[in-house]
Amino acid sequence: MKYPDPKIYRMKDSIDWKLQKDNLKEFGGIAWQLLKETDWKAFGKKQLTNAMLTGRRLAEEAKTVRDMSPAERLDLLVNGEKRLGKLYRSGSMATVRREWRGVTDTAVDFWEWTKLWGMLLSSFSKDLVPAMGGVTWYRWMISYFCCHSFRDKNVMGLRGSALKMHSEMTYQIFRYVAENLVLLMKGDERGGNCKDLSKKVVLFDEMTMGQIMAGFPDLVGIPYQLLPVFLLSEIDQLACMPYIDAVESYGLPADTCPVPTSESGACVIDALPHLGACFISSSMPCDGSVMASSYTSRRFKDLPTYHLTFPVRYEDEETLQTGVLEIQNCIRFVEEQTGAKWNWDAYFTAMKRFNEETRFELQKWEVNQTNNPQLIGPTYELFRKWNYEMDGGLDPRVLESFKKVNRLMLKAYERREEPWPGKMRHRAIVWSVPAHYYANFSNWLANCWGINVLVEMEGLNFTRPLETEDHQGALEDMARLYERMVMRRHTNGGYDHVLTELWRQVEIWKPEIVIMYQHVSCKNMSTLSGMFEDQARERGVRLIWIEHDLMDPRTVSRKDMRGKVNEYMRTVMREEPLDPSLLEFDDEAAW
Amino acid sequence: MKDLKYLIEFENLLENADNELVQQAQAEGKLAVGYTCYHMPEVLLNVPGCFSVRLRAPRTGSIDIATYYMSNYTCEYARSLLERAIEGGYQFLDAFAGVDACGAMNRCSEHFELLHVNTKPNFFVTHCDIPYKVVDYTVEHDVRQMRKRFLDVLTEKYGVDTSDAALLAAVEEHNEVCRILTEIGDFRRLDNPPLTGYEYHILNLVSYCCPKYLILPKLRETLEEIKTRVPDQKPWYRARVEIVGSEIDDPSLTKLVEEAGAFVVADRYCYGSTPGREPIELREGEDVLTQICRHYMEHSECARYISNEKIQQRRDTADRLAREYRADGIIYEQMKFCDFWAFERPLAGHILAEEYGWPVLSIDRPYNARSSGQLRTRFQAFVEALEIKRIQKKGGNAE
Repeated sequence: MKYPDPKIYRMKDSIDWKLQKDNLKEFGGIAWQLLKETDWKAFGKKQLTNAMLTGRRLAEEAKTVRDMSPAERLDLLVNGEKRLGKLYRSGSMATVRREWRGVTDTAVDFWEWTKLWGMLLSSFSKDLVPAMGGVTWYRWMISYFCCHSFRDKNVMGLRGSALKMHSEMTYQIFRYVAENLVLLMKGDERGGNCKDLSKKVVLFDEMTMGQIMAGFPDLVGIPYQLLPVFLLSEIDQLACMPYIDAVESYGLPADTCPVPTSESGACVIDALPHLGACFISSSMPCDGSVMASSYTSRRFKDLPTYHLTFPVRYEDEETLQTGVLEIQNCIRFVEEQTGAKWNWDAYFTAMKRFNEETRFELQKWEVNQTNNPQLIGPTYELFRKWNYEMDGGLDPRVLESFKKVNRLMLKAYERREEPWPGKMRHRAIVWSVPAHYYANFSNWLANCWGINVLVEMEGLNFTRPLETEDHQGALEDMARLYERMVMRRHTNGGYDHVLTELWRQVEIWKPEIVIMYQHVSCKNMSTLSGMFEDQARERGVRLIWIEHDLMDPRTVSRKDMRGKVNEYMRTVMREEPLDPSLLEFDDEAAW
Repeated sequence: MKDLKYLIEFENLLENADNELVQQAQAEGKLAVGYTCYHMPEVLLNVPGCFSVRLRAPRTGSIDIATYYMSNYTCEYARSLLERAIEGGYQFLDAFAGVDACGAMNRCSEHFELLHVNTKPNFFVTHCDIPYKVVDYTVEHDVRQMRKRFLDVLTEKYGVDTSDAALLAAVEEHNEVCRILTEIGDFRRLDNPPLTGYEYHILNLVSYCCPKYLILPKLRETLEEIKTRVPDQKPWYRARVEIVGSEIDDPSLTKLVEEAGAFVVADRYCYGSTPGREPIELREGEDVLTQICRHYMEHSECARYISNEKIQQRRDTADRLAREYRADGIIYEQMKFCDFWAFERPLAGHILAEEYGWPVLSIDRPYNARSSGQLRTRFQAFVEALEIKRIQKKGGNAE
């Protein structure tokens, strides 16, 4: 069967046109108000300044090329530019132009860019009207227009096979995003209002794994807040601020994690689509997420909800039976709410795929542990998490992508390629709550300081093959898998998973530096900060602490985050940057 | 009103975790088991030969060392306990019955182990796994956890009897404490009650922090004293309030509220009497431990319980108590940096105000609230608002 089932997209919409008309009227009113309130004089002045800056930049670039020796010019032509900080302009959302990567890689980059556009257009054209309408209903939909920028910033500086691999992985993620956005808008009461689809949709709580849906091939599982909140914020860090402000105005203190805060805020301002047969809320991963469920329940009072809760001390196998019962009850709940029946064959088929994908993942780790790591950086980490949590072996197309990427990776390894050529100075691993995407951080680390992130804590999850024959064994493995979802390592099960585990991973990956993301609102992690310090000193491990607040850059800006590394590299490591143009630049408004 | 005979003594007992009665009980060979959370059934810690001490960090000053270990955006209660532990303030404990219920307290108890804050050879820390909802199999899970992670370890390390007979004895003693405190607490329903909210808070707290068998005679005597205590001619308060929310082990917070003119008539918070002072009704034919665990799970008002019926229970209990104790309004409070209550407070506060019709003051507060001028001002303003509402209800006439 084709995935996703084309029938789903062909289901009949019943758009409430009067509702659309009223909304368009309101939307038009807001747009008109914005136009009226715009200071056109200032706007014109800014365009003029931008034009002047562009002219100056072009002149400077021309002069730089003129001043180059023939060898340098050839290098520029073949290998591309090396001063990436110049691509940023203060106050701008987009970079001033695309990166020049040399003839071949620029062509590859352009091809991948075009391919991505093609996929997005073909996905949205599966049901274009509700998707377009969604832009007028939900402000977060607009942020998806900058998904290309997200792709571009995450591959900045990459060359050769690495560029191809990262582009392939981004493509897979965005196809998933586009297809699910279309479904969300199609099923939404305010959009396509497709009742037949809505009856088949099972909504999932924040980051709750999708594997359970493999047993319901006729249903559609959608991680509810992933697209309007979580992934959105990684694409556009500024997008969640209205949610945060809304729920803080409601009374939530400002010290809570911005993830559940944003989700609760999205509920408060009714920014989530209305659809679905039922909702699977979850106690995972942390205290904040547990509580955000009550905001969702409050907003969607009529949506039947199952609270999927797993033991916290999950390493204790005696707690496993409780996890199994939770899974069984959850399956029963979905059956009751949708009329669908659990299908073991479909589940096993998908999990066999997932097991194979995990084997490919382990191959990546093996390569990255050598002196010639190949698949490193933020896109890889995002792909790993997405595959582990959301895709989970359900989509057969992803396995093909794994094969392609691993083929490229092994060839690159044989050729001893460098993902960031000439910038492979330090091996690093990332620990604690990661902030690569919001701040494009791993990429910046590599381009500016030659710090190459080999792996991150959240990627090092469950890799044991799942049972694909025996029913009871399969349920037990599913419980084990769910108990080890992303973000659970540092939030559940005690310090051993996160503190002692770091020293174990340091032995395996042999990093020179550990990038310690200090998420200021993550209580589970920050309550171990002193122990990390003490034990790192005892073991002689270098930790660079970088404070951040995920999708709320008002607490800690990207510039402040970079400042921590700059300071450490200069004062402790006594090094100079590989790309000085990336030391100080203003990307506060950038996507 | 005439001072209660034991009030000053009780206040003094709350000045230190290892107070005189704790020392006396240990001198008599009893084991002191510390705990912090309602999810750990208090009664299990009071099997013969042991006594429970609900941990507090009275007179907390600087928490700099704990802040180094646990950072500054985390629960001050957890940090204060760790600071006190590092200072050696819990060296007297023989065990720490911890639960993995909230992140901050779990980490605090982990630091007890990692930093070896107690050097007694048999000292141990438990981390019981606590479910998020109350259904048959989660009760069974809770029972297994309590048996394996706490009771069995207690037997193994100290040879303590944790049989059904031992549990029954503990329940009996516990129920007497509950009956006395409930009877005392019921006086708060009166228009002109013979005790203040502050006094009740002290009585309730000593029952958590002292060995039951040593505090019981004094509580019995205090009950008799209150029965015959003559209140002032006119009620001293300007408004009646219920306090709802997260952990409060600091009676000076109640004092602060009452100094602003509000009589605290009901206490639905952790370390309060709801939950905590409900007798455990046992029936024959079912395992005692299961019944105890179910009692605690069903009575818990912890925001951690995620299921819809428990969320509703929390709102209904706050409403019921406010009605039964004839409160004029509700103070919904939350310890700063507590994630569970940070999310619960605004939502429940709005619902209690908008759907249940209660005037609600919603606050977050430090662990030690006594010196907070901001809180004092907010309490005073709330009392004024309640008075104005009362006047408006009476058609604009003050009397």
